[in-house]
Amino acid sequence: MLETSAHRGRPKQSASFWLITAPYAWTVISIAVITAAGKAFQPVLDLVTIALVYLLPVLVTAVRWGLWPSLAASFLGILSFDFFFVPPVLSITVSDVRYLFSFAIFLVVALVTGTLAARLRDQARAASQRERRMAALYSLSHKMAAETSLQGVLRTVVQTVAQSLKGPVAIFMPVTPDDCLELVAHSGEGEFPVSEKEKAIITWAFELKREAQSRKAGGTDRLFVPVSDAERTVAVLAVPSAPEGTLSKEQREDLDALKSLTALAITRMQLSQEAEQARWLAESEKLHSALLNAVSHDLRTPLSSITGAVTGLLADEERYDEQAKRHLLVTIKAGALRMNRFITNLLDTARLDSGILKPNREWCDVNDIIGVTLNEIRELLPEDRVVVSVPDDLPPVFVDLGLVEQVLMNLLDNAIKYSPADATISIRASRVEDFVQVGVEDAGASIPGADREHIFDKFYRLRSSKHVSGSGLGLSICKGIIEAHGGRIWVEPMEGVGNRFVFTLPLAVGLAKEIPDEET
Amino acid sequence: MTEGARILVIDDENEIRRMLQVALSAHGYTLGETTSGKEGLNQVLIFHPDLVILDLGLPDIDGLEVLRRLREWSQVPVIVLTVRDREGDKVSALDGGADDYITKPFSMGELLARIRVAMRHVAKSEDEPVLVFGDLTLDFAHRVVLLKQQEIKLTPTEYEILKYLALHAGRVVTHSQLLRAVWGPNYQEHTQYLRVYVGQLRRKIEADQARPRFITTEPGVGYRFISAE
Repeated sequence: MLETSAHRGRPKQSASFWLITAPYAWTVISIAVITAAGKAFQPVLDLVTIALVYLLPVLVTAVRWGLWPSLAASFLGILSFDFFFVPPVLSITVSDVRYLFSFAIFLVVALVTGTLAARLRDQARAASQRERRMAALYSLSHKMAAETSLQGVLRTVVQTVAQSLKGPVAIFMPVTPDDCLELVAHSGEGEFPVSEKEKAIITWAFELKREAQSRKAGGTDRLFVPVSDAERTVAVLAVPSAPEGTLSKEQREDLDALKSLTALAITRMQLSQEAEQARWLAESEKLHSALLNAVSHDLRTPLSSITGAVTGLLADEERYDEQAKRHLLVTIKAGALRMNRFITNLLDTARLDSGILKPNREWCDVNDIIGVTLNEIRELLPEDRVVVSVPDDLPPVFVDLGLVEQVLMNLLDNAIKYSPADATISIRASRVEDFVQVGVEDAGASIPGADREHIFDKFYRLRSSKHVSGSGLGLSICKGIIEAHGGRIWVEPMEGVGNRFVFTLPLAVGLAKEIPDEET
Repeated sequence: MTEGARILVIDDENEIRRMLQVALSAHGYTLGETTSGKEGLNQVLIFHPDLVILDLGLPDIDGLEVLRRLREWSQVPVIVLTVRDREGDKVSALDGGADDYITKPFSMGELLARIRVAMRHVAKSEDEPVLVFGDLTLDFAHRVVLLKQQEIKLTPTEYEILKYLALHAGRVVTHSQLLRAVWGPNYQEHTQYLRVYVGQLRRKIEADQARPRFITTEPGVGYRFISAE
């Protein structure tokens, strides 16, 4: 992370004293060592060589500590050389004026090498620091890109900034557009206390895009930094700041880099959220209009037959004989029942969509489910048009009777609509492995293979069946209900003519054992 | 004796009240109407109905609450009007003292049948030693059940279930009512017992399992013994 540069940001008092004095101490010691060594070897060395040796501490201090220690080393070196080696020895005075000339050259060489070495050192250090910061930023941007939620991005941001600045960090954002700013993430555990005054400062910083400082609020000083992309401010960062209200150069650079990265990440998240929302809106718009079409068509058709029959009877009742009247009344009843079935389907669709529909399961005999459905639909399906086949030993299922009845009802309703009048419809139940399988067989035209997959989609209707009224809701509800029970539903063609709609329900295992058998 | 019997309708929907007024008057009943639960409770005192038709979806007090308050001081038969998908309400109403329920939209024939059965209140009892429902004869004195004059072997539990349902013929019996009557108060959650025994019972007395003539299922609520009238 960006810790490396932060270390030197605010060194402790004792450490700083040591840092400042150490180079000079080292200079003094090294000059002393060179002087002693020079004295020892003076008989074999000439003065020029000894003067050159005095350049060594200058170079070392320049590389390690920069310009000032190297300057100190140069002067101390010259003084020592003059005092201990240049005749008259043990005196500052110089007997030969040429020595003064060499001193000047020595100084110039020392100063130039010292300055160059110090600059080199600074550049190398800056480069490695830059490299470290770049690496840290790169890994951070990587992390942010991997975050899929805005909350995740914000958490990463505050934690990184908190590490860099060594203190609690929080980020404030307008939760909805045109809303006041709220705390959306902070680096610590628990609370992040914000005073009313600070709230005002945050809003000010956000609106004017300027940094603002709060003093001694909640015991700590805070700096509020607006986070903006090219066009607008997206958030405000609250960071700890030194009492004098300034950040070190490195901290400032870190913060600026993090700021723009944060702005980018937030904008990216907001844009993707907006895109998602737009897609969702378009989708629901489409469903809405399909639903409206279905409602107007499916309610109007039976309503027209009811209205027609009723107004006919009301206007001139005496013109109809008993049989005609009865016929009209039966039409009214059929229309009303159809409307009721449609409304039931609409309600189930809404509840499936909103996720409210939860099966209220109980133990059921498949026979019972079929019986209840046939009783409900007896007006449309006379007894002699249905063949029911359920094996006697079919185990019970643990389902919502009312919902499965709704499935069977929709399948039977379809079978009636798409089969020729008077054709027989079969309901067959059987056990297939760990499922009870129920099939409804009609005598309608075979459904083309391409349609078979989509027929359970919402509002999907067969192109060939425009003349049959229907909303395209029934089968999608069947699918929703059966899947909520852990089963499957599909349609397969039958040999010759007709389709078989099949659904499965998971078996309730281990039930019958706990109920004792009885003797008669 | 149902001729001239007084029926109080508590429903906030005008159309339903008007329709009931016309249809039930035509069958010789005297109708009283009211649109709210509070007013309904007062009207029970004033109108002295022989039966109350109570809509569960009232604007002021919840229908179930009206029923609870009513049952504190009156045993007048109550039929509740509900909508589909409110099985929970139906069961609460029935366990809370309603005599029967009918789901909107309902057919008039069905409502009239429920009214007749509810008016009888607890008409049948074990004092009547023999009950006859078409082909089916229950002889309580001898603990014998005959179908088409042939004796049917029933287990004790099957017999008790059939007896309880037959004594309440025409009326819905909730799962918990039946479980309490046959197995005792500790078995009210064991609806799977019912499924097994009612299934066995049907196999013995019903010709067509998918179209039972005697014991019909009320989804999510319970069973109803059909009295072939």
